Amino acid sequence: MAALNKETILSLAENAVKVALQKGAAEVEAYAYDGKATNVGIERGQIMKTALIIDRGLGIRVQINKAIGFAYTNIIDNPATVEGAIVKALAAAHASKPDKDWKTLPEKKPYAPSPENTFDSKILELHAEDLVNLSTRMLDAASESDKRVFPIEGGAGAGYGSNAIANSNGVSAFDVGTMVECSLAALAREGNTVTPVCFEFAAERTLNVDPEWVGKEATRLALSSLKTKPVETKNYKLLFTQFALQELFYYTLINAVKADSVERNQSPFKDKLETKVGSETITIIDDGLLPGGLRTGIFDGEGAPHKKTPVIEKGILKNFLYDNYTAQKQGKESTGNASRAGYLSTPSIEATNFHVLPGTKSAEQLLSEVDDGLMVSYLQGAHSSNPVSGEFSVVATPAWRISKGKIENATRGVMLAGNIFELLKNVSVVGGNERKMGQLVAPWLLVENVRVIGK
Amino acid sequence: MKDLLTKITNIATEKFTAQYAEARAQNLSKTMFTMKEGRVEAAKQGIESGAALRVLVNGAWGFASVGSLDQKILTEAISEACAMAKAASARLKIPIKLAPTKPVEDHVTAKPKKNPAEISVEDKIKTATSTTQVAMKWDKRIKSCTVDYMDLAGTSYLTTSEGTHIEQDKLYVWSKMTASALQNGVYTFSREEIGSTVGYELFDTETPEAVGERLAKRAVIQLGAKAPRGGKFPVVLGPNVVGVFVHEAFGHLAEADLALAGGVLANNMNKKIASELVTFYDDGTIDGAFGSFKYDDEGTPAQKTLLIKDGVVKGLMHNRETAQKFNAQPTGNARAEDFHVEPIIRMRNTYMAPQNHTFEELFEGVKDGYFFKSFRGGQANLDGTFQVGIQEAYEIVNSELGAPIHDASISGNTLETLLKVDAVGKDFELDSGRCGKGQTAFIGDGGPHIRVSEVTVGGSS
Repeated sequence: MAALNKETILSLAENAVKVALQKGAAEVEAYAYDGKATNVGIERGQIMKTALIIDRGLGIRVQINKAIGFAYTNIIDNPATVEGAIVKALAAAHASKPDKDWKTLPEKKPYAPSPENTFDSKILELHAEDLVNLSTRMLDAASESDKRVFPIEGGAGAGYGSNAIANSNGVSAFDVGTMVECSLAALAREGNTVTPVCFEFAAERTLNVDPEWVGKEATRLALSSLKTKPVETKNYKLLFTQFALQELFYYTLINAVKADSVERNQSPFKDKLETKVGSETITIIDDGLLPGGLRTGIFDGEGAPHKKTPVIEKGILKNFLYDNYTAQKQGKESTGNASRAGYLSTPSIEATNFHVLPGTKSAEQLLSEVDDGLMVSYLQGAHSSNPVSGEFSVVATPAWRISKGKIENATRGVMLAGNIFELLKNVSVVGGNERKMGQLVAPWLLVENVRVIGK
Repeated sequence: MKDLLTKITNIATEKFTAQYAEARAQNLSKTMFTMKEGRVEAAKQGIESGAALRVLVNGAWGFASVGSLDQKILTEAISEACAMAKAASARLKIPIKLAPTKPVEDHVTAKPKKNPAEISVEDKIKTATSTTQVAMKWDKRIKSCTVDYMDLAGTSYLTTSEGTHIEQDKLYVWSKMTASALQNGVYTFSREEIGSTVGYELFDTETPEAVGERLAKRAVIQLGAKAPRGGKFPVVLGPNVVGVFVHEAFGHLAEADLALAGGVLANNMNKKIASELVTFYDDGTIDGAFGSFKYDDEGTPAQKTLLIKDGVVKGLMHNRETAQKFNAQPTGNARAEDFHVEPIIRMRNTYMAPQNHTFEELFEGVKDGYFFKSFRGGQANLDGTFQVGIQEAYEIVNSELGAPIHDASISGNTLETLLKVDAVGKDFELDSGRCGKGQTAFIGDGGPHIRVSEVTVGGSS
């Protein structure tokens, strides 16, 4: 199946809008997606499998008497199934309940120029052989370094995704992006000791990943977790890497800055705009236009322009994240934060690139600030945090003991307990070593006074 | 469909010398909605259709997924899968082999008493509205209530180059409800999740009244809860927490692919690793349970698999690939979420078998501990470190149930903790949930109430 070109995918969306209007919708939005991914998989130290996934489909949202219906289908080459989906969306709207707060779908607004480094035609040309090659380089770099290391799984993948959105308010938009990634999970074994899983990866929008670095880092991390010592239960200074921050922020802080969470009394940030919610070192911008960002694009899941929205500036809460519905309800403008999980979902509020602005200190300089603390990367159980109050109680394994500015040894199974909003106030140093990870773009953060439950 | 899929698998074996080929075609339809404080965000309906093609060429897997059942497109896709498998096999040291299974020809039809397809969207919305009203009216400190609803119906066709032809209906009804409460700046959160493979009759037992009350009560109780103390304590775990412990802390380690990946169970077969009170099963045959089905996505019949008997490891969960490695029988655990993904080893309904203690007896002798009643999430590591986050918990003081505590979690090493199970109740409960392992699987987990002499509690005070 060849990729759908811009005209084909846009006209698919535009036609669906026309047909739904003819059939009685008051408003219509059609979202069309076409994507292809090629993956090569490593299992137990060798390349064992490949996968080609071609996915395309159409999601149609209609409004009748302020009630919203939605239907999707992945059979888009047949006009009859597309029409069937439109009929289903209309029926769903009739079955649903009117929403008195519904105003309109987004209006057509100008988009920013396409940010750099979100599309690379070289990625489109990658075949299974190229990804086997990439995976082999990564595996070789990992296994050459030490016999005690066992790369358990990982691989390399490449693909593209095209999005088109059209609505009855004049929106008609198209964007295409590419992505390439490689990853490796490894553990180390010595005698009867098995380390926890250590994971490293690289993901980029342009063909600019370093598989050798991924292989070596996964190996280094696993080896460094072999020698462990218990730590005592007390409050420590913690150095959080992006792995830990991404998970903690996703399940707590990001919920708190979504405008609908605030409106629904699910956020401690309610009534806190323009007040101090974090340490002065913290500035966070939700940036849907970040060059090369993993969540960068020119428009959001309902065709509203992506923007740069200051969320926290030097510790002061500045803005919440809006989709069109919540913005209209509160007499505000969408911040371009409507997100879709593919053609089978309706839009909901999500951060784009949640960018914690970096400071200047290097990893070494950050470590040298710690007399007695822990470095925390891998968390277990961040998803079981309280999404409303921000309380977390998680396992950090492995974590690394820092003593007098140096990493001394690993430790296993320690628990961290606290509250994300307290943690934000206790950030003392923001590093300069920024990195992209999912929707987070951030450096390491040094946080004072976190409760650690040791052995 | 059988003829089409046979033609496609034949291309792989005849033209590309694949040792094995399977074609899985699906037609799926879903109804979904999200309700927030009684407001329906959007009533959603969808249909999907497509094929998942998997081949073994030169000992490496090739897989292709396309949203089409067109012969020409499937021919292209399986050819591509074969070419890709060949490319992947270039540096293979240990080729993949599959344990033999008997080819199956069968047609499995769903027989719901209340077919969700025959219940109007209006009625489904009405049920969710009732749940919302029960929860929101329970107490005015309840500030929000979200209900997610989904039903999925469809047919899966599996044809393999070994002569298996299975046509199997899929039917799932699922709902997740959450509520939050607020008082004097204290925010609390509560969740419930229900699911069934029987039909819409799920809501006859899990009524809006029952679920709404459970949801609201928990959120309100938490408003007056205190923070737990961190450290090691004796604990009593409710069936809901035991279920997630069995699933997360032990179940994942007993998935043969993770055991092979270096998990701690690989070398413990037939060894005693747990207290003799511990017996675990993974059972795909419980009628109507959320993790049940007749055949897995490799065509192996689901079964009741014994994992631990009286503390001794008795089995792992296998697909055909790992069964061959372990010289074992496939157990029917190869599951794919849908045609977009390949089958991998997944749990079904995983649980601990009950013994003979009453609920009250479990509290006897616990001077200073905790009762963990309901979980919020859990996660395990291959080295045997587990974490289970708790949404409802109480102190135990001098063998009596005490004050509520909030946002605790428990952790430890699975094998050490299984040895510390010192009393197991005679009650039993099975809950429905979802498990993520790169793709989502609908599962069940459960057990009786149990007592563990010591686990680490993560608490902030």
